[in-house]
Amino acid sequence: MKFKSVLLVAIATVIFGTLLMAQPLQLAFWGGWTGPDGNVMRQLVAEYNSTHPDVHVTLTTMQWTPLFTKFLIASRGGQSPNILAMHGPDVPEFASYGLLTPLGSVIKAAGFKASQFATAAWNGTFYKGKQYAFPLDLHLNSIYYNRKLFEKAGLTPPTGWITGKEFLNMAIKLTIDKNGKHPGQPGFDPNNIVQYGIALYSLNWHGFLEWYELLRQQGYNFLNPSMTKVGYPLKAGERAWKWLQDLFFKYHVAPIGANSPLQDFLIGKTAMLEDGPWEIPAMKAQKGLQWGTFPIPQVFQHKAVWGSGHVLTIPIRQDQKHMKAAEAFVTWLVKHSEKWALSGNIPAYNTARKFAYSLPGRTGFLAGAPYEAMLPRIPKESEVFSSASVSPIVVAGQDILVRDKAILPVMKWMNEQINAILGR
Amino acid sequence: MTQIIIHLKVGEVMNGKKQHYRIIPYIFLIPYFFAFITFRFGPSIAGFFVSLTRWNIVGQAKFVGFQNFIDLFEDPNFIKSLTNTLYFMLLTVPALVIGGLLIAMLVDQKLRGRYVTRTFVFMPYVIMSTVVGVIWMWIFDTHFGILNYYLSFFGIKPIAWLSSINWAMPAVAIATIWWTIGFNMILFLAGLQDIPNELKEAARIDGASSWQVFWNVTFPLLSPTTIVVVMLTLINTFQVFAQVYVMTGGGPAMATLTVVQYMYVQSFQYYRLGYGSAIAYIVFIFLVGLILVERSILKKSGDIN
Repeated sequence: MKFKSVLLVAIATVIFGTLLMAQPLQLAFWGGWTGPDGNVMRQLVAEYNSTHPDVHVTLTTMQWTPLFTKFLIASRGGQSPNILAMHGPDVPEFASYGLLTPLGSVIKAAGFKASQFATAAWNGTFYKGKQYAFPLDLHLNSIYYNRKLFEKAGLTPPTGWITGKEFLNMAIKLTIDKNGKHPGQPGFDPNNIVQYGIALYSLNWHGFLEWYELLRQQGYNFLNPSMTKVGYPLKAGERAWKWLQDLFFKYHVAPIGANSPLQDFLIGKTAMLEDGPWEIPAMKAQKGLQWGTFPIPQVFQHKAVWGSGHVLTIPIRQDQKHMKAAEAFVTWLVKHSEKWALSGNIPAYNTARKFAYSLPGRTGFLAGAPYEAMLPRIPKESEVFSSASVSPIVVAGQDILVRDKAILPVMKWMNEQINAILGR
Repeated sequence: MTQIIIHLKVGEVMNGKKQHYRIIPYIFLIPYFFAFITFRFGPSIAGFFVSLTRWNIVGQAKFVGFQNFIDLFEDPNFIKSLTNTLYFMLLTVPALVIGGLLIAMLVDQKLRGRYVTRTFVFMPYVIMSTVVGVIWMWIFDTHFGILNYYLSFFGIKPIAWLSSINWAMPAVAIATIWWTIGFNMILFLAGLQDIPNELKEAARIDGASSWQVFWNVTFPLLSPTTIVVVMLTLINTFQVFAQVYVMTGGGPAMATLTVVQYMYVQSFQYYRLGYGSAIAYIVFIFLVGLILVERSILKKSGDIN
């Protein structure tokens, strides 16, 4: 009887152990891709799962802001995901909290080096000299255009960088009032415009980003070299805001306070739109819209365009087995990121990026990518460069681009507020 | 509460086991009680302690006493959010209460189509707040919105409903009134239908005009409902969040920033949990104050003991 019991327990243990061993290792992967880009990532994850039966990656997506809150809470409870996607400028904040694993040696061991990646994307993975993430992609501003409206206006869409003046002339020709007149013509009625030249974001933080790239086009950084204070010359900042403000209030080529510039462009009410590659799926889905992209105008001395990039991090607090599996997955994902280009994002890995050239509508992004200027990478990024309505950069953009307020006092106020946050 | 009392009485009549039937309602309450303690009461108490700290979720919380509360009243953005919220209440509460009562009185009449009207007025209330925000964002679009299109027939130039600091809050208030007035209508309608017709008829026989019947019979008898409607409307409007978040995000230039939205920004976008919790407690104190006022009014009117 005793022997039988022992035998039964032994058999049960073997069966249970075998079953456990047969289970693939589970990896949790979190990302903020809630649009069609999420589906592309899901397909990549499915491909990995089908070719790696010993590991099962589960992708969880939600909007970036709640995702990061969830990550902080999960980290607090020791339940971090195994892989977390974020943007390059987010890295310093989470790294400064001690939540990310330094990955320099892992990235080196995987055979990756700086020359294999887009420079901005590679640089966006460091904080205080340590590399905390694998670069995945770049996403930057570009000008979308409506081919039919260009043809109607007798214009040929550019294929490369154009000057601010060329851009403005185009925008004027594409702006039409109800009598068919353009801005600057006698009798033009700015209160009855039926088609605008360009849709620009002015109510959210993209207004600031449009300004930031023009500041960078003058060769200046937003913060001082030690990233402790605002550090650009006021004159340069004023010139950049003025260019944007004039598009709305002097030339009337951009609708003031547009709630949804994307929708305005999709339905043909505006002929151009400044936006990122995440809108590509929306362009493709819009029936009858013939669209393309070209880089944002070079208004000042240098070429520069605001951009960011997704990176892949491995949070701390996991055992070696999960750590190794996460490293293997992320390495595979970067090496197979050519399909990620289908999401609209431009792969950071040079080899993978080649595929993006074969896809329609990528001209503006690919031409702009070498000149991408990311926001300063600081631990207080979520507060300094916040998209919240109370954020000084958002309020300043609204004051100048929507309320037509005098630039200098607004800019000084914005700088004071940012300095106060940085000094807190 | 009324239902519980009825059940107790039924129990007494049926088998006389009074004690046994007194326990039953509490047994039914146990699952909710646990959920309430876990997800409402517990976090509320914890929130108070968090409000006394400086904490970004991951690091160690630093005890700062009541400093967050002191900072709040020196924070111009908080003061702005508070005044904006009160302005929003001023725009919506009278319209929601008086409008709700008027619509209820209208659909209480024996008119053709009253059931359809009730349904149509109530229907927006079942829509999610975020959807309401998106619908009205389209309607209020300055350049291509349907409202400005119709206004143009009257020679009115396009109004920047959501991007002007003067119009943004009234626009959010209009959307909110459209969305929630049906709820108040239903409450008033229930109150109106509880008033015995005999009283109104008696007044009419005594020669009272329609206005006199309303003012001297209907309105006083409707006062418990009115107090509840006013209180619920005050509480709900003070907590306005989703429609503002979707329609304006709190802009332009913080013209529609509300207290709850500011709490959300501080807690979940800036990770300043202590500060966000302090805002939550200010909201809590305000709402408790309102409930106490309601109770004292109801006590005076004799509707509760």
